[in-house]
Amino acid sequence: MRISEHPILSFRHNKEVHFTFDGKEVTGYEGDTIVSALHALGIWKLSESPVHRRPRGLFCAIGHCSSCLMRVNGVPNVRSCVTPIEEGMVVESQNPRGDLYDHV
Amino acid sequence: MITCDLLVIGGGPAGISAAVAAGKAGLKVLLLEERERLGGQLTKQTHRFFGSVAERAGTRGIAIIKDLETVVAQLENVEVSLSTTALGIYEDGVSTALKSGKMIKIKPKAIVVATGAFEKFLPFENNDLPGVYGAGAVQTLMNIYGVLPARRILMIGSGNIGLIVSYQLVQAGAEVVGVIEASPKIGGYLVHASKIRRLGIPIYPSCTIKKAFGQDRVAGAELVRLDEKWKEIPGSQFTVDCDAICLAVGLNPLIDLLGQSGCQFKYIPELGGQVPIRDESMRTNVPHLYIAGDLSSIEEATAALLEGELAGLSAAKQIRPGQSLEARIEEVKTHLRALRSGPVGEKIRSGLSKLTGEALPTPSPRTNAIDELSRTGIASPANLAGVLPDEKRKKSRAYAVIECYQQIPCDPCVHNCPFGAIKPFSDINDLPIVDFDLCTGCGQCIGRCPGLAIFTVDETRDGDRAKITLPYEFLPKPVREEMVDLLDRSGKCVGQGVVKSVLNTPKQDKTTIVTVEIHRNLVQDVRQIRVVQKS
Repeated sequence: MRISEHPILSFRHNKEVHFTFDGKEVTGYEGDTIVSALHALGIWKLSESPVHRRPRGLFCAIGHCSSCLMRVNGVPNVRSCVTPIEEGMVVESQNPRGDLYDHV
Repeated sequence: MITCDLLVIGGGPAGISAAVAAGKAGLKVLLLEERERLGGQLTKQTHRFFGSVAERAGTRGIAIIKDLETVVAQLENVEVSLSTTALGIYEDGVSTALKSGKMIKIKPKAIVVATGAFEKFLPFENNDLPGVYGAGAVQTLMNIYGVLPARRILMIGSGNIGLIVSYQLVQAGAEVVGVIEASPKIGGYLVHASKIRRLGIPIYPSCTIKKAFGQDRVAGAELVRLDEKWKEIPGSQFTVDCDAICLAVGLNPLIDLLGQSGCQFKYIPELGGQVPIRDESMRTNVPHLYIAGDLSSIEEATAALLEGELAGLSAAKQIRPGQSLEARIEEVKTHLRALRSGPVGEKIRSGLSKLTGEALPTPSPRTNAIDELSRTGIASPANLAGVLPDEKRKKSRAYAVIECYQQIPCDPCVHNCPFGAIKPFSDINDLPIVDFDLCTGCGQCIGRCPGLAIFTVDETRDGDRAKITLPYEFLPKPVREEMVDLLDRSGKCVGQGVVKSVLNTPKQDKTTIVTVEIHRNLVQDVRQIRVVQKS
């Protein structure tokens, strides 16, 4: 949910940025990270855990906990909480896990 | 290979402060920041800072970072490299970093590492469900990206982060169902606790979380009461409905990068866990390697700014001896000591004494009058009695009520009274004392108090009407002659009043000063207003 008005801050949502999440076309704003754009759309589940396939969401938002790892433009294990969205970006849940040899 | 005098890793308050201090001393500085903007946690701190006016107390974190960015931009010998992740510190003095997908090598003469800290986790059933967030993550989402991740939030931990983020969640339009705290006492500053209590947010001391409910995301939580030995009380479980659980249970220094450098560490829980060993000038056991900020010990941003400056100056002194930096170095050390000298600095002092092996300084005298307050966040009649003028004075002129009962390092009120009515402090941890012969009840102090703990009362008129003036930082703003709900210290509605004035000048920086006409009997109960939503 986007905050529409705030007593201290003002948020400028100028330019729309279009990307896909698990094949579906979605829209965020310039300046969003992957996670902030997905949260604004009500998407909290980012991936699943490798062994027990439990849902994984955001935890730290500073790129240190690995809870938000996703596959972005085919590259696995991207920290979606600190990665800005870009036009045409392909964002996918990485289930069950992202292996580097998928990519190289 | 890039060469420079000083490499600073981390562009938060400590790193910026180090870069600025070294830059002003003439060093060629390279400042690396992982994100797209400088500032670290400052960029999301919408509250006013505590501490000394000399270190910008009373100013919001988001305003402090704007000033710092300007200072950095003016220093030609300080280069900032954003979106750059430091990768390694090698024994030959070379550091590596990743920028735009390419590795860069840097060979500096000295390094300041200021990588900050990381939110602690807590073991409980289903703690891995989406919707269990670090409190800092929620603060980032709402204050930087303008995204509210949930509507009903449970806060775990009543330290300053838990209390401040709870307040900011309400400002952003969310509901905080409660703040739970395992200790029998509130951990953070009591003025922060009082701020959220008067919004109606309950604080549960001696309480912890057992489990989270939910399938693909948090739908609720089971909590349990603890006894005086921190053991669960059987049968005391209760559940709350919430769609997010915020963990604000402390921070650990981010030591991974520094761990590669040969720097020695020591486990000191008071400072946040594994911390680098360093001397008073912020130098580690590795020559030319300095640290600053939360990486060295978990503290407020004011301490990070000072430690950063100290590290930057110390590095400058080592690289370019012969400059007259000594006076400022001693001044910064003195400020840091003052900041940590009060009762709330006791934990840090104890931790630092373990680090340096110094004897503990004598503890400062404590006031025992805060016991009930420190459990509830609500001032008792005894607390209040100590800060009010006598009956005769109450009738003669308006007056300020400063509900600041806990010794914390903070002094903006003293410096913002145009009449000198708040007695000068001998120590930054002093409690404010109003000289009611000098106080005119003008209310200049209200918007400058970081704890929003100052109110003015005017009960000079005959009859049953009186006026209270209070700070207000929510939407919608009230308008003149509007009827508003009056809330007491626990957030309970105790009546209605008519708004008589709404002050919103640029100097107040978005803290609206509202005067409400209320019944005389309520002047010492009402501490918050609520604008009645027209449906």
